[in-house]
Amino acid sequence: MNVIEIKNMKKNFGDKEVLKNISFSVKEGEVVSILGPSGSGKSTMLRCATFLEKMDAGSLSYMEKEVVYEKNGVFCYPTKKMIREVCGNFGLVFQNFNLFPHYSVMKNIADAPISIQKRDKAEVEQEVRVLLEKVGLAEKENAYPCELSGGQQQRVAIARALALQPKMLYFDEPTSALDPEITAGILKIMKELAAEKMTMVIVTHEIDFARAVSDRVIFMDEGVIVEQGKPEDVIDHPKNERTKAFLKKLSY
Amino acid sequence: MKQKKKIAWLMIMALLLISVVPTTVHAKKENDDETLIVGFDAEFPPYGYKDESGEYVGFDLDLAQEVCNRKGWTLVKQPIDWDSKDMELKSGAIDCIWNGFTMNGREDDYTWSVPYVDNSQVVIVRKGSGIEKLTDLEAKTVVVQADSSALAAFTGEDATEENKALCESFAQLQQVSDYNSAFMNLETGMVDAICLDVGVANYQVESRGDKFEVLEEQVSSEAYGIGFKLGNDELRDQVEEVLAQMEQDGTFLQIAEKWGLEDCICLKASLEIKESAKDNTTLEADEGTSKKTIDFGLIIKQLSQGMIATIAIFILTLLFAMPLGLLIMFARMCKWNPVQWIAKIYISIMRGTPLMLQLLVVFFGPAFLFGVSGSNQYRFYAVIIGFSLNYAAYFAEIYRSGIQSIPNGQREAAMVLGYNRVQTFGKIIFPQMVKRVLPAVTNEIITLVKDTSLAFALSYTEMFTLAKQIAAAQTSVMPLFVAGVFYYIFNFVVAFVMERVEKRLDYYR
Repeated sequence: MNVIEIKNMKKNFGDKEVLKNISFSVKEGEVVSILGPSGSGKSTMLRCATFLEKMDAGSLSYMEKEVVYEKNGVFCYPTKKMIREVCGNFGLVFQNFNLFPHYSVMKNIADAPISIQKRDKAEVEQEVRVLLEKVGLAEKENAYPCELSGGQQQRVAIARALALQPKMLYFDEPTSALDPEITAGILKIMKELAAEKMTMVIVTHEIDFARAVSDRVIFMDEGVIVEQGKPEDVIDHPKNERTKAFLKKLSY
Repeated sequence: MKQKKKIAWLMIMALLLISVVPTTVHAKKENDDETLIVGFDAEFPPYGYKDESGEYVGFDLDLAQEVCNRKGWTLVKQPIDWDSKDMELKSGAIDCIWNGFTMNGREDDYTWSVPYVDNSQVVIVRKGSGIEKLTDLEAKTVVVQADSSALAAFTGEDATEENKALCESFAQLQQVSDYNSAFMNLETGMVDAICLDVGVANYQVESRGDKFEVLEEQVSSEAYGIGFKLGNDELRDQVEEVLAQMEQDGTFLQIAEKWGLEDCICLKASLEIKESAKDNTTLEADEGTSKKTIDFGLIIKQLSQGMIATIAIFILTLLFAMPLGLLIMFARMCKWNPVQWIAKIYISIMRGTPLMLQLLVVFFGPAFLFGVSGSNQYRFYAVIIGFSLNYAAYFAEIYRSGIQSIPNGQREAAMVLGYNRVQTFGKIIFPQMVKRVLPAVTNEIITLVKDTSLAFALSYTEMFTLAKQIAAAQTSVMPLFVAGVFYYIFNFVVAFVMERVEKRLDYYR
């Protein structure tokens, strides 16, 4: 089953075409990495898929259910209430974490399940402790974000996304704001998630990580998908000239 | 634990409100038919002023009290801002102006009683200044009270040609709001002469010692009467009837002697009563005109009462303005343009016009626009409404700046997690906004403490108004200085409390 399916997605910022006809889908349990130079539209694509930006044309389905579609030439975009429901399908981990600074680690993670999903408080808090154990922050449930390092904050953000029990996770350059040695810790957690068959879409610059963890790699440039396939094909034996040029630059 | 503290805070606020409101909204229950609200300038001794014990006293107030006693009425002594006396009378907030009120030049503006005091306009100069005659005032600076009969004598419609010419010869004719500042000006040499009523002049010179002298030559001769709203003959006749009785049985003269005004009264002539009062027993002229001494204890005691009114304005304004500011901010940030524009215009007007003007509009507006009769209690409400409306506009903009400084990522994270708009604002945005706007809000609150003194524009007796009245009564600047110390202490406490609040929110960045 496709967890997400995008067809002919387009997005303009003013006169600039940022996304030109993007189509792809992700199956349950699949890990997909999206590579590409800055300004290629990968983050915008991800923001459109998570409704942070409104796409201009095309269709979008979660769990085989059409959310954005074109009917008889009319573009149909969901209401805010519908979007909130659809958002339950996925979690999103931001490049700069976006933890709530006035909430403790526990509240950052537990508040949404308790106050939005209306789940039992004691039960949720028990789950959160398990999650914190998993991301290696068992001791930090009462700390505030400003007391944590960047890497620790990102782990909390991952736990926060997982606590809502989503069908899939999006990562928007999760390690770009972190030191290399801290990055390794985050990538390790993501690898564990992949091993548990979590469906993931990862926008990243970590080529080696993408190769190691992905079932499929998508290479984007100038608003289009240039090439996609198994990591060993796209990364190690690219066919497209632009992919080659990009990977060559990275290897310096 | 936190909950308990919140409850404690709420209780403290509630207690403050309960203890403060009844004392400030005074004289609430009287039946209108049996109340006489006398408007007077509380800085105009010996006709009406605040004495050392904090009571409003004076010749005119004694007369009014006697009239009320005989009529079985309740007297309400309402100090007013002299510049707004016409508005006060027309709106029905007061029943009459009874306060050394000059009839000359105002004959057709009010329904008058018969004149009861003959008062002349005289000039006070510093002793040894070399000014001996009116013509010596050429190229000098002369000061008069705003909207006073001295001013009318020089520039009014009925001013004599001589006085107009005399006024032309002055270097400047300056206006002040009260005689205390006039004397401060004269003493410090910033002006050369004060022109004022003879009764006031004698009183002031007597109590201020031998630094000043009154010129023998008079500017004009004039009479005082009681001014009623034009057409209110009924009340005028009732008061006049009692005055006639008082003149007949000698009470009027006794009261005049008590205040050292026996030389200027003319009620008898006015009433054409010929009977001589020479044989009447006289009361000893007493403390009414005796020399004033500065008493710190009394100043502080009296100002403390004004402080309660000031704190009432302060707390109630914050209580209404802060939530109202939130509403205005929502309107200002509304995506629907008409609402946004209304909020923009509101903020623009509130920030673009003087607060004092806004207070006057709130107080007098209903009476003039819709003919709603004003009441004395409305004075206090008008102050609160005016301050709240004004401060809400500032708070709205401060809140907006706080909200716009919160990174958009917070909203995006909340949205992806499934928070709806209300939850996002209440749980994520608002708490962070509070922390960010605290320093700006503290600034605004401290400004409010000092702005409360603007309530004088509506003659609401808060601390600063009181300080000015005491200063006038005691012919000293000390009360103003003490008031300054009070304001400073108040603000010191406010700053301390706000700092504590900021510290409590210091647990996150």
